[in-house]
Formats: sequence, C-alpha cells, structure tokens
Amino acid sequence: MREPFSDRAYRALLRVLPFDFRGDFGPEMEQVFREQRAEASSPGAFLRLWWETMLDILQTAPSEHAAILGQDFRHALRVMKRELGFVMLSILVLGLGIGASTALFSVIHAILIRPLPYANGSRLVVVSQRRANAAPAEMPFSAAEIEDYRKQNRTLAALAEYHSMAFTLFDPESTERVSTGVVSADFFDVFGVKPVLGRGFTRDDDAAGAPAVLLMSNEYWRKRGADPAIVGKAVRMNDREHIVIGVLPPMPQFPDENDVFMTTASCPFRSAPEFIANRSSRMMTAFGLLKPGVTSGEARADMARIAAQIAKDHPDVYSSEEGYTASSTPLREELTQRARPMLWLLMSASILVLLIACANVANLTLARVARREHELVVRTAVGAGRARLLRQFLTEHLIVALCAASAGVAMAWAGMRVLIDFAERLTPRAREITLDWPVLVFAAALATATSVFFGCVCTFSPRCNLVTGLNDFSGSRRAGFRSALIVCQVALSFVLLSGAGLLTRSIVNLHRVDPGFVGQNRIAASVALNWSREPGERPEIARNLLAGVASQPGVLSAALASSFPFDPRAVGGNPWRLWFKLDDRYENSAAAVRFITADYFETLDIPILRGRRLTDSETHSAIVSESFARHYWPGRDALGQTILGDDGEISIVGVAGDVKELGPARQTPEEVYLPAMQYGVPVMAVVVRTTEDPAKAVASLRRAIRHADPEIAIEQLTTLDDARADSIRVNRLTTDLLGAFAAIALAIAVNGIGGILALSVTRRGREIAIRMALGAKPRGVVLMLVRQGMRQVLFGLAIGLGGALLLTGALGELLFEITPTDPWTFAGVTALLSITALIACLIPARRATRIEPSVALRAE
Amino acid sequence: MDETNPLTPAVFQVLLSLADSDKHGYAILKDVEQQSSGEVQLSTGTLYAIIKRLLADGWIAENRKRPPAADDDQRRRYYSITPKGRAVAAAEAERMEKLIARARDVRLIRRLRPA
Repeated sequence: MREPFSDRAYRALLRVLPFDFRGDFGPEMEQVFREQRAEASSPGAFLRLWWETMLDILQTAPSEHAAILGQDFRHALRVMKRELGFVMLSILVLGLGIGASTALFSVIHAILIRPLPYANGSRLVVVSQRRANAAPAEMPFSAAEIEDYRKQNRTLAALAEYHSMAFTLFDPESTERVSTGVVSADFFDVFGVKPVLGRGFTRDDDAAGAPAVLLMSNEYWRKRGADPAIVGKAVRMNDREHIVIGVLPPMPQFPDENDVFMTTASCPFRSAPEFIANRSSRMMTAFGLLKPGVTSGEARADMARIAAQIAKDHPDVYSSEEGYTASSTPLREELTQRARPMLWLLMSASILVLLIACANVANLTLARVARREHELVVRTAVGAGRARLLRQFLTEHLIVALCAASAGVAMAWAGMRVLIDFAERLTPRAREITLDWPVLVFAAALATATSVFFGCVCTFSPRCNLVTGLNDFSGSRRAGFRSALIVCQVALSFVLLSGAGLLTRSIVNLHRVDPGFVGQNRIAASVALNWSREPGERPEIARNLLAGVASQPGVLSAALASSFPFDPRAVGGNPWRLWFKLDDRYENSAAAVRFITADYFETLDIPILRGRRLTDSETHSAIVSESFARHYWPGRDALGQTILGDDGEISIVGVAGDVKELGPARQTPEEVYLPAMQYGVPVMAVVVRTTEDPAKAVASLRRAIRHADPEIAIEQLTTLDDARADSIRVNRLTTDLLGAFAAIALAIAVNGIGGILALSVTRRGREIAIRMALGAKPRGVVLMLVRQGMRQVLFGLAIGLGGALLLTGALGELLFEITPTDPWTFAGVTALLSITALIACLIPARRATRIEPSVALRAE
Repeated sequence: MDETNPLTPAVFQVLLSLADSDKHGYAILKDVEQQSSGEVQLSTGTLYAIIKRLLADGWIAENRKRPPAADDDQRRRYYSITPKGRAVAAAEAERMEKLIARARDVRLIRRLRPA
C-alpha cells in the first residue's frame, strides 16, 4: 500500500532536525504523528494538527542544532588544545592564503565591482574622438566640437566639458599652484554630485563676462584648514578676484585630481575668442549622461554618426584620409581599464596561494586524522555515523578557519597601505579601498569553504576499515592522496614562481634600457611661471631663472624646457604638439615638440648625431630626433630639410639621439626641438647637471628658483634617476607583490614537503630501526627517504611546468623583452624549487639515521 | 537540566504522566493533554526534544519490558520514570505546594475547607 502523502510530508519535515535526533526518534515521531492524524476527525482538525506540528518542529530544530553545535564546539576545543602545534600551523598557513585573497578582493571590490560613487554612475560615459590614421590618434575636443556633439546627439541627456590647468592662487600667506578643473556649468549635475557646503555652478556662472567663482575639492578645502565659513570668501587667481561658492564632497576625480573648479567663462584660455573660434584648438574632455533607457552601444553609434556629419560639414579641418571618428565608453570602464589586468593577475595569484595553503592544511589535517584514527574507529564502532563525524570535523575546521580568517583579515589590513599605493598609480578609485563588510563576508566565505573542504577530506579520505583500523595505522591509498596534495603544492608554486621570475627578469630588462640621456646627477623641477604676467616679460623671467640656477655651486650646466623626460605629469606623453606639412605626402602631420634653451642637450648628455645645437636667438630652426628623421626622410639626410609649420618654414639644423621619455617599455616618440625663447617661452621645467649630492642639490635648486623669482611655483623636484624609476613603478610593484605571493607559496610548499616526510619518518621509525640494526648504512637510509620525498616533487615540477607554459601568457604586456616561455626562467625556477625541496627532505631524513634502534623498537 | 530551577510546565507534565505509569510517546501526548484539561498541548517535536533531554539527564529511561504481543507495536518505545526523575518531580511538586500555601496565606486564593 502506498504511504499517504501526509506521512511522507511529515518525514520530509523531520529533515530539518539534526541527523542524530532523527536517528534516535524519527520513526517513533512518525508513528505518533500517524496516530494523531488518524484521530483528527474533521478537515479542520487535520489542518490544525498540521499547522501546530509544523510550527513546533520548526521551533524545535534550531535549539537542537545549537545544542549539537555547542557540544561539538567544546569537543573541538578539547581536541585542539591537545594538538596546539598543528592548529597554530594550520591557522598561520591558511591565514596567509586568506589574507592575500582578502586583501586583493578588497581592492577588486572597491575598484571593479562597487558602482561608481556618483549618483549617476551607471549612466556616465566618456565621449572621445580620434583619427585612426594619424599620430597621435587620440584628439581632445575643441569648443566648436563640444557644441556640435551637444546639439546633434540623440542619446545624451547632457554633455559636460572638462579640462585641467594649473593656475597660481595668490593668498596673503602663500603663493600656491593649484590644479584647476575648468568645466561647463552642468558638469557636477551630470555626475550627480552636490556640494557639501554652498552651491554648485549655475548657467549664469558660465555666461561670458560672469563674475569668477570657484568650487573647492574636499581635499583642498581640508588642506587649507577646513574653514566652515569659506563660502563667499575671495581669492586672487589670474589677476582677478574669484569667490568661493562651495565645497565638493570627497570623491574620486577623473581624469585628474583637481584642487579647485571654475567654469569655462572664468578660464582665460578657454574663454579667449580666438580659442573658441578655432575648431582645431583642442584641449577638452567630454562627459555624457545617457538618457534613461539608452544603452552605451546606442550612444557609441550616435557619436560615430555625429562625427561623420561633422567631417562632412568641415572637410577643411577633417581630411578624409585621417579617419576621423567618435565614440563613447562607460566611465566605469574608462576609470579602471589600466588597473583591471593587473588586479585580476594578482587576484589569481592570491587564489593560487590560497589553494596551496589549502592543500598544505589538508595534509596537516590528514596527519591529524591519522593520529586520531583510534578515536575515530572507536567512535564509529559505538555507532557514530559518517554524517555525525563529518559534522564534528566541520565544526573543528570552522573554528580553525575562522581563526585563520581573522588572522588573514589582520594581515590584509596591515598590507593595505602597499596595495592602495599600488592602485593609486592605476586608477583614481584607489581611495575607495577599505576593509568593509563585503570584504569581511568574502573572508568568512573563504573560511567556510575551506573548512567544508577539510571536513570532507577528513571524512571521505580513504580510511582503513574497522577491522584493520585498530591495529594497522598505515594506508597506502591515503599515502597516495597525500602525495597528490604535495604534487599539487609543488605544481602551483612552480606556476607562481615562474610568473614572478618572468616579471623580475622584465624589470631587469627595463632597467637595462638605455633611455638616450644620462640621469645620474641630473635634477629636474617642473615649474610654472605666472602666466598672467605680460607675455613680453617672459623671456626676461626665463633668463633670470636660468642665470640664478646656473650660478649655484656645483651646477655644471642648466637648461629650461617645456617638459623633462619621464615627467610624471606627462604619463600620456609630452602634451606639446607641432602640426606641420611636408611636401605632398604629409599634409597634416603631428610630432611631439619640446621647447628648449641652448644647453638642454649638453645638460642631459643627449648626443647630437648630425649638425649642430640650437642657439636661443635663432628662429625657424629645429633639431629633430633620430626616429623623426628616419620616419620622414628614410635613407636620406634630414639635415638641411625643411618642414612647414603654422608660421612658416622650419629648417632642420641637427639630429639628436632618441630619448625614451615615456618610460623604457613605451614607444620612443618622434620629437622636434624648438628654441623656447622664440616661441613665447612655454617653460615648465628646469633641468640641471650637478656635481653635488642629489639630495643637497634638490634643496639648493629649490632655493635658487625661489630666489630668482618668488612668483614661480615649483610643482615637483626630482632627480631624473628617481623619475625614471617612477616610470616603471607599476611594473615594479606588480612584480614585488607577485614575488611576495610566490615566496609565501614556496615557503608553504617546502614546509609541506618537509612535514610529510618527517611524518613518514616517524611512522617508519620501526622499519628504519630494523634496517639500521641489520646493517643498513645511514647514507643508504637518507638516500631512500630523499628519493621517496623527491619523487613527488619531480612529479609536481613536471605538472607545474605544463601549467606555467599554459598560464604565463596571461602576463601579457607586463613582460618586457622576454617571452612567456623563457627557458632560463623555467630552469631557474626548477632549480630553486628542487634545491629547497631537497633541503626540506634532507632534514627529516638525516634525523631518521639518528634513530636509536633499541629505543624505536621498544616504543612499538 | 539544572535541578534547582523550576521545571517547565511541559517537562513537569511529562514526568507526572510517566510517574503514573509507563507509556509510549503517543500515550504521553494524550495523557498530558487530558490531565491538563487541554492547557498543555504537546506536539511531536517538543515532546521528543523533552524526551531526549530527560533520557540524557537520566530522569526517565527506555523500558525494556514490552506489553503483551497483541497490544504491541514494534515501532513504539516505552518510557518509564527513574527514581531520580521521581525525586525531581516530587521536589517540584513540593516547591509548588509551598508556593500555593503562601498564596493562601496572603489570601490570594481561598483556604481549603475540610470536606
């Protein structure tokens, strides 16, 4: 007869009770329920019975579970106290794995997962235009172009413009250079950012001739003392009064960090009629707010359509062969695209560390299980089911894992500073990194997952059966499982070490690159002359500055320039461009241009390969870089050639060596050098060659600049060696972090190899003792044990090599002048792992030979 | 279970029911309901949670003697109160008696009259 549905439902309901409880009372409870059900006379009584029973069981279950948990917890603590060494080692090893993963997750969560901290974050796009067939391909926007995109688009609710400039802010106390975001009035509305003090910009603030107003960034406001009554106060900038109207909330700024913001009408450059009239004067960035429901794909197509229309309307500006087009990218992608590959790389590495830690702790756990075999066998014999034992183990491991998670979170917290420093170089979102609750949940989830894993390893690992269990403590299948775990650790360590090795060699290669100039004993300062002084005064200011700097003791030579190589402000490249024509082939070409004074090449030891140096007084002459000469006059002499610039012909009087000024791994830009004194003195850098100790020279250069002209703001002072090191800082930090992970992995794996062999020596003490008593030489015993240990290591090396060959390709652009399958790196890693593993094996093996046969045999 | 603390009504009722005679689970359930005039209603979950604890504390025991085969059902288990359980229940009853006496002293309830 089929069982009534009600009874089956009741049995299903009982499953919420703990396994033991069900085992003890389940059938009886079913019987009682059947009798209660049989007695229920009416459908109403039947329903009431069900309702009460259900409530009752659901209330009983939690307290029964808690009771078992408490019991297991107490038992676990007792057991753990007995094996404190094991437990501490497990906590340490797991803590390292969880700590590394948690730290990386906190970065990934803040940068890649959490939504942008702007109210309109998900609808923000960066609009960009480019010409595919010209160098450089990226082009900023001109005022006319911004206007075109604003009027003609169908997908954007608003289009805001932005550019950043450094202005000098005069205050009674100090003259300070502030980076200033110049924005359209709707910029902060587009981002959905409301000032925390005062008001935002209005349309009237952006009208031509409107009174100048400023918004302060939260950081700058705090830097100035967080004056709560700042709103309404005036400061002087660009020879005008500017009224502070508000303070922004703390937020990541993109694309640059700015101290203050002004409207386009207040910026002397942006509001100049000649700038607005010239469609080719480009310096702005455009941000769009998507209309509700519009996808980023639709916006992209819309921008491309407008670009085609603009090119058709102005064929004189956008020649058909340069491939002018426009697009839009979600801001979130744009903000994080540099960070993404490195973060995922490091996250994968930290997960590998965690896996190695898990494999290691699994081995420790198995060793513990082996020690407790007797207890387990007895408990199984008196009726404890597998499920009950599993539950008990889970509780034990949960305690260990939660301790490890706490240790891991502490480690992550300690390592956070390094990570933030790293991320700051990749994305403005770095300041959002915190150990907040999703990160803690992540750590707890990792801990839970690992404890479930270990619980299962304990319960389901091949175990000797009851009968043999009481007297046979070795199991060959379990030994096999343990060996497999060792193989895994070695293989995973190999992958990590290979990655770290390849990156380290890339760093070495990067350091080897000849940048084309000498950085030793060279000091550079980025400076800003007061732009609001009369243009006619500028050559005089520059000459005073140069004379003041050159007369310092120890200075061998000095020069002024528009920028210096490896200038950290110019990560995107030298911002100055020269547009020129060259016979029929190059109608509208661009090259990076550097304005210099006469001694620039001498100061930096850049060789003049052909021709002569520039003097400060000559016009229409230029020196070009070697790669520029090769590009435009291949196989011919560039000397004496001319190019046609905006203001007439420029003749090439010299060819200089190439300078890798964007960083050793980046392309060498084609450059044109022009005499600064003849082009309105766009001087923003001082370079000095000195015999003094760099630290002292930096201080004396600062004094010399101050002394020459107190109105010159110094933005940065650095030795060129430091600037160069800074240009590969991201690679360096990635390498260091991956190297740290690999070192942790190696330490864990080697510890695991040694530990397992030591265990095996302890187990085989009797066998070894007999062998030695029968005349085996200590050498032979050591050899036998080492062979046993190294077999797994070699196996792991082989698998690791395969894995590394598959995976190191993911390092991609981080590798410099080295292939992902570099044989020397792999050979080095193999040697390192083998030697450390050998040492790890030798220690317990040698101990084995010191076993006193009589002692070992008596112990059995 | 701490013997100095008052028992819960449900636990006390179960002990009372078993003090009367050995019973199986369903019988305890019915007995408790009848004797308390429906005031204490047990469901299977609560009942067996109580039984589990009483067994663990040694206040009741599973009865090895089973009733005659005709009345027996193999799935049933019979429980009987142990001397320890009886002592605990008695102590509880005395505690209650004292409480009631006190309630009468303060005229909270009427004094018993001789019949």
